[in-house]
Amino acid sequence: MTQRPKTLVGKGREAMLNIIDADSFIDGKIGDATLDTNLGPGALIGTATMSGETVTVITNDAKARNPRFPVVYAGIIGLEEAYKMAQAVYLTMEADKNLPKKRPLVLVIDSPGNAPGKVEEFFGMNLATGSYQLALAEARTAGHPIIAMIVGRAISGAFLCHGLQADRILALPQTLGTMIHVMPLSSIARITKRDVELLETLSQTNPVFASGAGFFYKLGGLEEIIEDPADMPKAIVRHIQEIYKLKSEGKWNELGPCSRGTLGTARGGRVARKKVLDLMQTQYAKLEEAFLA
Amino acid sequence: MTGWNDMQTRSFYESNARERARYLLDAGSFRELAGPEAQLSSPHLPVLDEAISFDDGVVAGLGKINGRPVFILSQEGRFIGGSVGEVGGAKMVGVFELALKMHEKAQVKYPNDESRWPAIVISFETGGVRLHEANAGLLAHAEVMELIQACRGKIPVLSLVGSKLGCFGGMGFVSVATDLTIVSELGRIGLTGPEVIEEVLGKREFDSADRGLIYRTTGGKHRYLMGSAAYLVEDSIAAFRDKVAAVLAEPYAKIAAKRAIGTPTLVEEQLELTALAAQLKPKDAYDIWAHFGNEKIAKSIPDLSTKEFLQQVKIRKGGGVS
Repeated sequence: MTQRPKTLVGKGREAMLNIIDADSFIDGKIGDATLDTNLGPGALIGTATMSGETVTVITNDAKARNPRFPVVYAGIIGLEEAYKMAQAVYLTMEADKNLPKKRPLVLVIDSPGNAPGKVEEFFGMNLATGSYQLALAEARTAGHPIIAMIVGRAISGAFLCHGLQADRILALPQTLGTMIHVMPLSSIARITKRDVELLETLSQTNPVFASGAGFFYKLGGLEEIIEDPADMPKAIVRHIQEIYKLKSEGKWNELGPCSRGTLGTARGGRVARKKVLDLMQTQYAKLEEAFLA
Repeated sequence: MTGWNDMQTRSFYESNARERARYLLDAGSFRELAGPEAQLSSPHLPVLDEAISFDDGVVAGLGKINGRPVFILSQEGRFIGGSVGEVGGAKMVGVFELALKMHEKAQVKYPNDESRWPAIVISFETGGVRLHEANAGLLAHAEVMELIQACRGKIPVLSLVGSKLGCFGGMGFVSVATDLTIVSELGRIGLTGPEVIEEVLGKREFDSADRGLIYRTTGGKHRYLMGSAAYLVEDSIAAFRDKVAAVLAEPYAKIAAKRAIGTPTLVEEQLELTALAAQLKPKDAYDIWAHFGNEKIAKSIPDLSTKEFLQQVKIRKGGGVS
């Protein structure tokens, strides 16, 4: 009898080791470069192989605490973590800069948020998370396939930082404890001053503030839900192959954040978006000539 | 009706989103896109019995600054805290898509004249994601970040922060990911809002009712001193407009050289600052200002006028700072 799969929440390291080829992870190594592994312990980063091909893996490690920044624990992304993640992306680009085939980046996601501290605000947590996102967006367009694999928590700013810039986003199902949302319904109820019961009822049918992988799927927020964790490696490899193909064919509008906007309309979760974009195109078309004259 | 010239002296802080959009641009040049007459309001608010706005709190459009085509986005803090939902987020995406489209044509038509190529100016006033439609708002942030990167090397994108609610949440990193930021001393930029920090660290460590502390932590003077805002200007529409016009008269490469983030070198520089943060363990921004050579004036910085501050302050060298 096969064992029922267990939750991977809080177990980013274990999840990552299950995704890559056995014993292939080299901590802190990317190409010829070495990351400072003391830095940003909440981000576990290195090189591994998947089906024999070299990949860079970037993982939240919920078991690590950052001794220098006390608000960084349980998978929280702090200043050091975000800059280390950005560094890893640039080093990945550097490693392949003269190669026609760019290695994939596999992001393993289990983070409850960006570090919410005073020192973080003095120095700019916004700069840190923004740095990582711009690096990912650049690597994506440079040809590196980027896969985000949600194995635990993908919450608000942490998900924006680590995940939402990917070409493709995959998630384990809610039944395995994955959490994808901006805030839990109880907090949304408090801030919007609505009954939590009303929100719970509405969230059954309205994906726009509900919590969970299924709702994000409907909004086009992720490409595929992987029901069994054992299927993660082959699903990731399949998506990587598809991404290589789409990029080689120049089909950039089928990958990345804006493509998920289109997906959200197709899946019926975000229909207003397209109406706005279409109207703006129509109105602009009448103005263009005058502004280019 | 108040004329364009009269509006120039008006406080940027006090101005609403449409006024900022209209009067930052050359007189009479503003053309709104997906404006209120189209009545594209949020489809998600009525189910929560929440009032809607026909512009969903975002003014998007196109105009000129000293003759150069400029796409503008302006957020309205008076509508649900300037929060980003599906419709407002789509307007942001739309502006970037159209600017990229115009850029393609402009560079063919005027290959040697950057002053005819479009730019994007964003006037932020927001707390980030709109919780009533949180998931759609979140996804829109990711799209805007992708598009900011897509504009690099092509279209100058400028952030303006000087409105009542500042620029927080996800828009805190969106604003800093552009080519450069112009702030007034009243502008505030950050990721986590003061209330949440107080909740996490306790009132003794961070009192969210202490306005002085909030300004020292996230205000325009601090952001300018630290180098994440390239310019600090007075609180008037004219001051912002003049700075935008001066920046857009520069070649793109010179504008992009002011970036706060977005290159491996800038990551290394921020890592050095992060090491400093760990070493300095600042209790207050005063400690950081003193560290960068402002020992004598640190305590009086909050009271200095913008002009006095710019004359006296020593700013952190590096990054976008020249």
